[in-house]
Amino acid sequence: MPAALDWLQFVLAPQMINGLSIGVAVVLMALGLTIIFGLLDVINMAHGEFYAVGAYVAVALLTAGLNFWWALVLTPLLLAVLGYATERGLIQRVFHSKDRHTLTLLLTFGVAIVMEDVLKIVFGANPLRIEAPIAGATEMVGLFFPNYRLFVMVVGSLLIAAVWLLVFRTSIGAMVRAAAFDRHMSASLGVPVSTVYATTFAFGVALAGLAGVMLAPIYSVFPTMGRDFVLIAFSVVIIGGMGSIKGAVLAGLLLTQVQSISSLFISPVWSDPLLFGIMVLVLMWRPQGLFGKLGQA
Amino acid sequence: MKNTLVATALTLTAAAAFAQAGTPIKIGVVTPLSGTYAGIGQQVKWGLDLAAKEINTAGGVLGRPLELIYEDEEANPAVAVQKAEKLFQVAKVDFLTGTVNSGSTLAVGQVAERNDRLMATTVSFADSITGDKCSPNVFRVNARAGMQSAALADWMAQTTPNAKVFYLGPDYEMGRSTVAAFKSAAEGKGAQSTGEVFAPLDNKDYSPFFGQIRSARPSVIYTSVAGNDTVRLFNQMAEFGVNRNVQVVGASGTVTSQNLAAIGKNADGFVTGVGYSPLIDTPANKKFVAAFEAAAKALPDLYGTDSYGVLYMYKAAAEKAGSTDTAKLRAAMRGLQWATPQGTKTLRAEDHQAMQDMYAVRLKDGKFEIVGKVAAAAAIGPDACTKF
Amino acid sequence: MGALASSTTTAPAHGPGGAHGRTRDAARLLALLFFVLALGFAGTAFALGDVFFLRLATEALIFGGLALSVDLLLGRTGLLPLGQALFFGLGAYVAALTLKHGGGSFWLAMAAATAVSALAGLAGGLIAIRSKGVYFALISFGLAQVVSKVVYNTRELGASDGIIGVPQPTVLPGVGAADPLGFFLVVLVFVAAVYATLAYLGGTPFGRQLDAIRTNEHRVAFLGFDPWRYKLTAFVAAACIAGASGALYPMLRGFVSPELMFFQVSGNAVINVIVGGTGTLIGPLYGSALLTGLKSVVGSYTAHHHIVIGTLFVVVVILMPRGLIGYATPALQRWLDRRGGAR
Repeated sequence: MPAALDWLQFVLAPQMINGLSIGVAVVLMALGLTIIFGLLDVINMAHGEFYAVGAYVAVALLTAGLNFWWALVLTPLLLAVLGYATERGLIQRVFHSKDRHTLTLLLTFGVAIVMEDVLKIVFGANPLRIEAPIAGATEMVGLFFPNYRLFVMVVGSLLIAAVWLLVFRTSIGAMVRAAAFDRHMSASLGVPVSTVYATTFAFGVALAGLAGVMLAPIYSVFPTMGRDFVLIAFSVVIIGGMGSIKGAVLAGLLLTQVQSISSLFISPVWSDPLLFGIMVLVLMWRPQGLFGKLGQA
Repeated sequence: MKNTLVATALTLTAAAAFAQAGTPIKIGVVTPLSGTYAGIGQQVKWGLDLAAKEINTAGGVLGRPLELIYEDEEANPAVAVQKAEKLFQVAKVDFLTGTVNSGSTLAVGQVAERNDRLMATTVSFADSITGDKCSPNVFRVNARAGMQSAALADWMAQTTPNAKVFYLGPDYEMGRSTVAAFKSAAEGKGAQSTGEVFAPLDNKDYSPFFGQIRSARPSVIYTSVAGNDTVRLFNQMAEFGVNRNVQVVGASGTVTSQNLAAIGKNADGFVTGVGYSPLIDTPANKKFVAAFEAAAKALPDLYGTDSYGVLYMYKAAAEKAGSTDTAKLRAAMRGLQWATPQGTKTLRAEDHQAMQDMYAVRLKDGKFEIVGKVAAAAAIGPDACTKF
Repeated sequence: MGALASSTTTAPAHGPGGAHGRTRDAARLLALLFFVLALGFAGTAFALGDVFFLRLATEALIFGGLALSVDLLLGRTGLLPLGQALFFGLGAYVAALTLKHGGGSFWLAMAAATAVSALAGLAGGLIAIRSKGVYFALISFGLAQVVSKVVYNTRELGASDGIIGVPQPTVLPGVGAADPLGFFLVVLVFVAAVYATLAYLGGTPFGRQLDAIRTNEHRVAFLGFDPWRYKLTAFVAAACIAGASGALYPMLRGFVSPELMFFQVSGNAVINVIVGGTGTLIGPLYGSALLTGLKSVVGSYTAHHHIVIGTLFVVVVILMPRGLIGYATPALQRWLDRRGGAR
């Protein structure tokens, strides 16, 4: 019995807490993606690159002399501007075609290629580092846990809750959901639909950028970092249901726990294939994912 | 009339000879100039450019200047092969170098064979290149994995006898074989293994493995991760306090000038086995480092230095052979000795592998301090090449 | 697939006769032009004693075969595959192993590669075909990721270094893979055969079914057909084409490496199709030739050719979604009509 308790405390619990900190990060990424799909019906293959741009913008701000907290606040704002411009300048151009899904997928795929190369040109191919603003570690369940990771978990959770509130408890959120549900009706009711679209895209992108800044001290910054989260973010969004916030949160937290705990029993190399396998199974059984679309939460 | 004829003939011959003396020797360089390994490609370029400049200023090779022609291989063997063929066929280069990853070196080696030209790698450290996959047209001037392991294992046996080692590597062939090579070298000198774990390549988060490492209570952690993975591993180990009271050692590619800045203080104390450190205290090296820094505004690392060395190797071989003909060059290169910033290297005839003294270096404040040395003959390891 | 296919509500360019059979002349002309240009190129290169450009062009044709397999799925069946490199690489590895350890016969290697690709296509198709649109794209992407990772880690397959020392086989007496001109012609014949088969198939009931599925899958079921079977067949066929094309790669270059299965190859194939002209079949071949040449030229000047290709791709998607041939065909047709009057 004591051996089992030991295992629970020293092996399983830390694994689950680690999984939680990764999970919060994944959920932030997936939220942006699912909001963009839920409202705009746009598949943003460049989402990972916006995450990377967020991290690099933070690096630039820090090099310019600002401290981390300023970077944390400014980066999402700058990313929102970038997102707004992208939506208006590029996405709108293919938006009204019948093949919107495929075209936006291809378009954002091309944009991702260009963005990655631009980052390489501007910042170089070598990895960069952002010092964590909070140093030290706390002792928890017999394991040292870095304070910054705890911070990320807490702030990340608050952000997720804030997004939920924004979408479901504010009038802005109501407008967004209305436009997602029925574009034309909302327009005739006075909702500025195209502004709502651009702003929502900007918001989703800002979330990705924010995730980039927050995670940079943990995962470091390098030009191909956009690819880190793409597969898992898309898997989470698909499993949770494209457009569903509840789905993104639950699937994100659950899947990262599954990955974390399973790495205790199977070789970590199978972690991604496992995720992929789950995604395939979910799609076969319930092609629309676990939960519904944005309009219906 | 006879005089005029003779005079014309003499003038023509002289003109031809003069032209011949001037025609450049073309060296093709297929190296990653974009992509993840662009940093390494940059060091390779700096090293080659410096050596070419010095050699040309001193009169060239056999009176002919060296001309470097660069192509980007994107660290992708399929692209490397295409570019190599372009260099051999269209640019008609006499010699090729620059490949970084082992897959590219092996594939390009085949292209060299088909075009009856020689090539040398200055970066790839997979043992197979001068081992079971050796080629009569491929030479290696840098140290291979076995040599690096030998230097490190030797140091470890002297400073931490019977160490308890935990192994952490990236889960792919290179990562596993590097761990395996070091493990056998270390255990041959008395170390014990307390566990090993292999994380996926490009793994983001190593914290799931720290519990295992902690409970193994090792005195040494050996890792063969590289590039961005090292940055994450080292920073996270520091975050979680895993590197306290533990000696961290690793492969030569684990901490390099490309990722050192991002790891910062968390790399202090790291020890590895390499063929070069900018702190080697010889007049030749000091002169080289000064010249390199002046030209590149950066310190040379092992890739830059070995690339610098390859052109001097070519010069020595061509002068020994008296020509740039492939068969004569090959014969000249076998057993060739030439001077490099790291001292005198010898190209072993049996497998085309360069022999050199190896160093154990420790990182402190971003500098690679030398803490151990193993003589060339002891480090080189057996000849595993049976093809020639 | 409205904006992407070369014609929207009309039958595709290679469709049967009738009021819209007009575009057939222009399409045939452009297809013929491609092969004539290819032969002309080969002749010139041979006369100049060139080796590199012939091999580069052969490589472009091999990847053109892969692009054809993508077009079969994207342009004809309405499925966007982001992992077709899986079958390409699989075919390459099977051919490499067959040539190296199985006797070195060209025909055996091709047969083995095609057979294995068919099986893999069946397995992959059973998993992926149930889904549509972005789900299908992501599943095909994921499949390629998983398998390429496995190959990358398998020592017996050479792991990350791949397999070198693949012998170059003789195709026909006197024509071997080592012969730049000879092999170029062999691959050209292969690509022409694949193209002709696919073009012909477009006019058969099977081809029409695929068009119907692409246009509106739901209605197809109401008409009494099971779209699933047709999609699966198309998927397996595409896998075979990709695998057979892949088999030619080690014959040309003498080696294979896991990079042949990576996403970059799949992505490039999709780009070739979009730029060339989705659904036109000949467009992807033009696209592959164009982009291979572009990469080689741009790559000599700057290391940042990804930006150039990426920007070109974005421009094409926004401004010319039907691709080069997608616009050239009707334009050429109008010119022909004006010149020749009604035919």
